Amino acid sequence: MFEDPLLLARVQFALTAATHYMFVAFTLGMAPYVLFGQLRALLRVDSTGMRAVRFWGGLYLVNYAMGILSGLVMELQLTLNWSGLHDMFGYAFGAPLAIETMAAFFVESTFLGLWIFGWDRMGRWAHWSCFLVVTLTAYLSAYWVMVSNGLLKWPAGFSVRDGAAVLDDPAALMANPSATLAFAHICVSALLMGGAVVMAVSAYHLRRRRDPDGLFARALRTGTVLVLVGLVPTVVTGGTQFVMYGQEPPTSGQSYTPAEIEGIESAYGDTSTAHLIGISGDLLMMLSWAVMALLGLVTALVWMAGGLGRWRWHLRVAAVMPLFPYAASVGGWVFRETERQPWTVRHHLTTADALTEMSPLAAGASFTLFTAAFAVLGITTAWLLVRFARLGPDAGPLRAPEADGDERRDPVTPL
Amino acid sequence: MDLLPVLLLTVLIVGYFVLAGCDIGLGMAAPRLARTPAERRRLVSAIAPYFLGTEVWLVAAIGVVAGLFPALKGVLFGGGGMWAVFTVLAFGWIMRDAGLWARARVDTDRWRSACDAALVGGSWTLAVCWGLAVGGLLSGGRPLTPFALACAAAVVALFLLRGAAFGAERLVPAGPSASAAGADEAARLTRLLARTALGAGLLAAVLAAVPFTGADLGRPWFALAAAAAVLAAVGATSGVSGPHLSRHTSALALGAVPVLVGTALVLPLDPAPPGTLVLVGAAVVPLLPLMVVGQVALYRMLRRPAPDHGFFVTPPPVPAGR
Repeated sequence: MFEDPLLLARVQFALTAATHYMFVAFTLGMAPYVLFGQLRALLRVDSTGMRAVRFWGGLYLVNYAMGILSGLVMELQLTLNWSGLHDMFGYAFGAPLAIETMAAFFVESTFLGLWIFGWDRMGRWAHWSCFLVVTLTAYLSAYWVMVSNGLLKWPAGFSVRDGAAVLDDPAALMANPSATLAFAHICVSALLMGGAVVMAVSAYHLRRRRDPDGLFARALRTGTVLVLVGLVPTVVTGGTQFVMYGQEPPTSGQSYTPAEIEGIESAYGDTSTAHLIGISGDLLMMLSWAVMALLGLVTALVWMAGGLGRWRWHLRVAAVMPLFPYAASVGGWVFRETERQPWTVRHHLTTADALTEMSPLAAGASFTLFTAAFAVLGITTAWLLVRFARLGPDAGPLRAPEADGDERRDPVTPL
Repeated sequence: MDLLPVLLLTVLIVGYFVLAGCDIGLGMAAPRLARTPAERRRLVSAIAPYFLGTEVWLVAAIGVVAGLFPALKGVLFGGGGMWAVFTVLAFGWIMRDAGLWARARVDTDRWRSACDAALVGGSWTLAVCWGLAVGGLLSGGRPLTPFALACAAAVVALFLLRGAAFGAERLVPAGPSASAAGADEAARLTRLLARTALGAGLLAAVLAAVPFTGADLGRPWFALAAAAAVLAAVGATSGVSGPHLSRHTSALALGAVPVLVGTALVLPLDPAPPGTLVLVGAAVVPLLPLMVVGQVALYRMLRRPAPDHGFFVTPPPVPAGR
């Protein structure tokens, strides 16, 4: 394996992307929950509600760290390892990424810094507005990334001139069905994921009869609603994408003739390892969804019977809920990315041609360095998340200074 | 119209060097400036969450290269040497950030030491790799020529100077009782660091004129002019002037480095096709006000002393492994 730079670079990117998405899905799922929680606490001038926001917001930040780190590495890896993609598709594939970095991530990260900094140092509404910007730009970021990714699967909106893609229809690029449907799929499945996480953490504490101010009983209900609402749209937005399956993308034939495409695809074969892995990913995704649907249904019945938050067997079941959206997310991405092979850009650029020319030694060193770092960081972040979820609101990273009985440095003196 | 994207890229890169230079440099100087646990905590609090608003300038610059100047990548990452420099740079970057994010999450000395090591090691890796990248680009893609190494030394000294100037301001404690030793030490260091940067920069300038030391400049006169700006800026504070001025001179000098690289080389800066420009412009311009507001608000918050409570400094109330 260490002799083949292509295989190494592919596995490296798959690991980076899968790690990245697991943390990103949590971010996307949790952001609206924190946002509306903070809004509710503001409207009711409710200190217990704000305590909940500090707890979930703390988990959000612990998770966000890994999302941002893996995102940075992913962007750099695209640039460093896949220069063939940029050489041919820089102006088309790279443009939405450029937009994402400036019009989404730049704003998101800055305002997240303000939100972290602004607890107790900012007006309440100004502080909430920071998180509103963070939430909106997180979704905007996901949209532009999917515009880039959608182009790979369903190349549209450009024409190939002198071997390079020239973007001549930005609207077609932005409305690419492979991007918009996948973005919708990500939005609803992220809500499902956020709901499942909220359910599980709440169930864990309720089972131990820890429920300060009714925080977790309320969260369990909200989490359940999110899961139930997200289930069907997830499968609809996912399933609709199969319409494009087997169809020729609009720009097919501009880089290779149909005969050449046929030749490249048949040389690759339908039984390649990548396709087999892809089919397993698809199965994993569908199975996980089925389990989630079942668990969601059971939870709905438990709720109707008045046992939500009280029946201990159900709390035990609810605590494992997040495993399934995580499995489904990874499975879904594995399927999406392998289904396209042997192409990086379907009918335009093969994965082999997209790779930067590099020695096996360089590819091996890069692979080892980042895979090891990611393993350590990913496992550490997951451990911290579980740990802080279990510790509860009194020990959260964002808890109020008063919670520790600290003497405030600048106490507010009554006038 | 053709000039706008070039200007955008220049602003982003210069912005990154000027702003992130503060947190990278302060991270490098941490062992010297923060010796007690309370000082280390204050130092981390000076960097985080400030760094969240500075590293985005580089992320945006990478995005602009990918989307508007794909041909530039051949120059930046061409050859195995430059590829290695940027790969290690990425590694140092995530180590530094991971150290900052994780430091307050576990309340044990071992954990904090490991995170501090990641912060300091990552910051040094970043600065050294930027130095080698600058030197390598000015040596035709060879980061290990004598000239490239002299450039790298100058860049590393500039990062340190920028960090020390930042520390002289930000390490001042909130209360009158706490010790300001870190801030005083940082203020003292600025002069030494300015002299080091000046020395290394002069060496690089001399080597540029010596054949076979590696310098490969497409426009040597532009390079000379930009280098003179860098050296004049650091020269101004290498004498008697104290740390107060070095906050501005270090910004000028570090910000002039990418300008030097950009003007000294003949770079492939062909304008992107109209479709791409229209798309990027239409999507980015509406968000420009938010970008500006967020950045300004973040730096305004820096006028106050670094807080001693918050996500990046408050440890959990129970020890790890409970």
